[in-house]
Amino acid sequence: MEPTVEVPQQPTPLLRQIGPALHELDMSFRADMRVPARIVADEELLQRMTQDRSIVQLVNVTTLPGIQGFAIGMPDMHEGYGFPVGGVAGTLLPDGVISPGGIGFDINCGVRLLSTGLRHEDLKEVLPALAHDLARSIPTGFGRHGRLSLSAAELDRVLDEGVPYVVEVLGLGSREDLAHIEAGGHLPGADAGRVTVRARERGHDQLGTLGGGNHFIEVQRVEHIHDAEAATAFGLFEGQLTVLIHTGSRGLGHQVCTDAVRKMDQVLAREGIRLVDRQLACAPFSSPEGQDYFAAMCAAANFAWSNRQVLTHRVREVFGRRLGERAEAWPRVVYDVAHNIAKVETYGGQQLCVHRKGATRAFGPGDPELPSAYAEAGQPVFIPGSMGTASFVLAGQGESRSISLGSACHGAGRQLSRAAAKRQVVGAELRKALNARGIIVECPSNAELAEEAPTAYKDVDRVVDAVETAGIARKVARLVPLAVLKG
Amino acid sequence: MQPGTYQFEPHTAEVQFRVEGTSLPELFEESGYALAELMLGESPPEPPRDAEEEQVTLESADTEALLVDWLNELISRADTKKRVYTHIVVDDVSERKLRARIRGFTPEVLKTAVKAATFHGLEIREHEEGFNATVVLDV
Repeated sequence: MEPTVEVPQQPTPLLRQIGPALHELDMSFRADMRVPARIVADEELLQRMTQDRSIVQLVNVTTLPGIQGFAIGMPDMHEGYGFPVGGVAGTLLPDGVISPGGIGFDINCGVRLLSTGLRHEDLKEVLPALAHDLARSIPTGFGRHGRLSLSAAELDRVLDEGVPYVVEVLGLGSREDLAHIEAGGHLPGADAGRVTVRARERGHDQLGTLGGGNHFIEVQRVEHIHDAEAATAFGLFEGQLTVLIHTGSRGLGHQVCTDAVRKMDQVLAREGIRLVDRQLACAPFSSPEGQDYFAAMCAAANFAWSNRQVLTHRVREVFGRRLGERAEAWPRVVYDVAHNIAKVETYGGQQLCVHRKGATRAFGPGDPELPSAYAEAGQPVFIPGSMGTASFVLAGQGESRSISLGSACHGAGRQLSRAAAKRQVVGAELRKALNARGIIVECPSNAELAEEAPTAYKDVDRVVDAVETAGIARKVARLVPLAVLKG
Repeated sequence: MQPGTYQFEPHTAEVQFRVEGTSLPELFEESGYALAELMLGESPPEPPRDAEEEQVTLESADTEALLVDWLNELISRADTKKRVYTHIVVDDVSERKLRARIRGFTPEVLKTAVKAATFHGLEIREHEEGFNATVVLDV
């Protein structure tokens, strides 16, 4: 199906190209801009961005106190609330602001890729049973809680310690997993004591659950290798069976953001901050409210990495049950990376609070944060496509730090509203069409299936090409879906 | 739009609705019903007669913040109590305070999971026939 968004014929005013697939909107565009706005996109993607309010929202981000260099929109950028989805901004510490809306409600929503030593062609027979078992083993529906029952003290330790606690104390996973997770699955700034009772209540039984919306688990096949050297470093080969997990911090993270927006909204006057959009509520990083939020956000990030760790354990249980306990059937963690998060990072000797909302960190070769096996290749970056379309593994490039604050896109990016998608796509027909292409779909709701239909999203190949052309990350592998499990 | 109604509007990634009320309590009630329809689909059923009645009291910085807090209260209770509220009586809304009674039930399936209500573009406007507002929800 062809996208139906109309592309305007007029060029976007005041936006000039400053590099391959890289554009900059000059500060003269609006008087309140503190820095320019950068956009990574080819001409067609750029024109599509003019169809909603995403560029205006990116310009709003440039007005945040303490912002350094530029605000950046990724090629999958689309309209959100406050920040656009696909927006990145770094604020100077200690007094530049931290804005919960620059991370989003789903704190540390992110992607984890698991690889096996198996080839798809050897597993065609068992795949339907495997997909069905995954659907049965992973709670997705409303009111379904995770199979882990944590005491308050155990939840505190998940929030404070993240995945190392889940692996070493709860016994869900291996130590090797830790080296293949951004930040080792643990942000040291976390403080469970700053997470409200309400946030704990929302999240206490959600560890090991997928959640709804665009969250999914997909069994995939590596269709094509673009970069053999990096693919070897990442342990990927053509025809290989992989599993992609896309979820976040569930209700706990949503409430951490809700609580912080409410609190920061009330101190704007005290801090002398005037906002063009109230959802950009923020406070200086060094203020009590900034520190409370950062510590709670780190705790929610630890919860999200732990959630993907528990889901990994469930996937391993299913693979063990269906394929036997042989070494090649053991899903190994390739990497796990957030796309809704704030991190303290150093650029040009300055410490910045880098907000990534719908953007993936993409550090280049040699970065000390990378596992040693990936030091030469660069950081793995995962770009899930929309349901039924390809996903990509990329490798971060060194130039990403200067081009985009070490950030790449996070997906294909929506181009149709959920309602428009449902008007254009009949869920039951989409299910049939996917099945006809050999893709198994495990999703109870046809309506939700229609909302996430491929036509609702931009062309993921084009989005990824823009990131590569700009020099942020290079393509390593293209993955295609075999089975999709949606919440 | 008629008073006492709501209508979903296009938004690329999230969900936006416009709500009209002859009074602030009605504006808040209709906003709650818009949320219930989003979570359950059109014409969501009433809760069972014996469903527990829950009290809600809120105090916020101003009326816009009160509307955001009200919707976030319903969203948060959906997670903690596993209920969607389809019987809503807002007894009183002043500039900064709200009192309401709600009853809900646990559905088999949620049509749309809602993360939070936002301040984005939110303004409660008073006009000759009452009040209206446009709300963006993160889904």
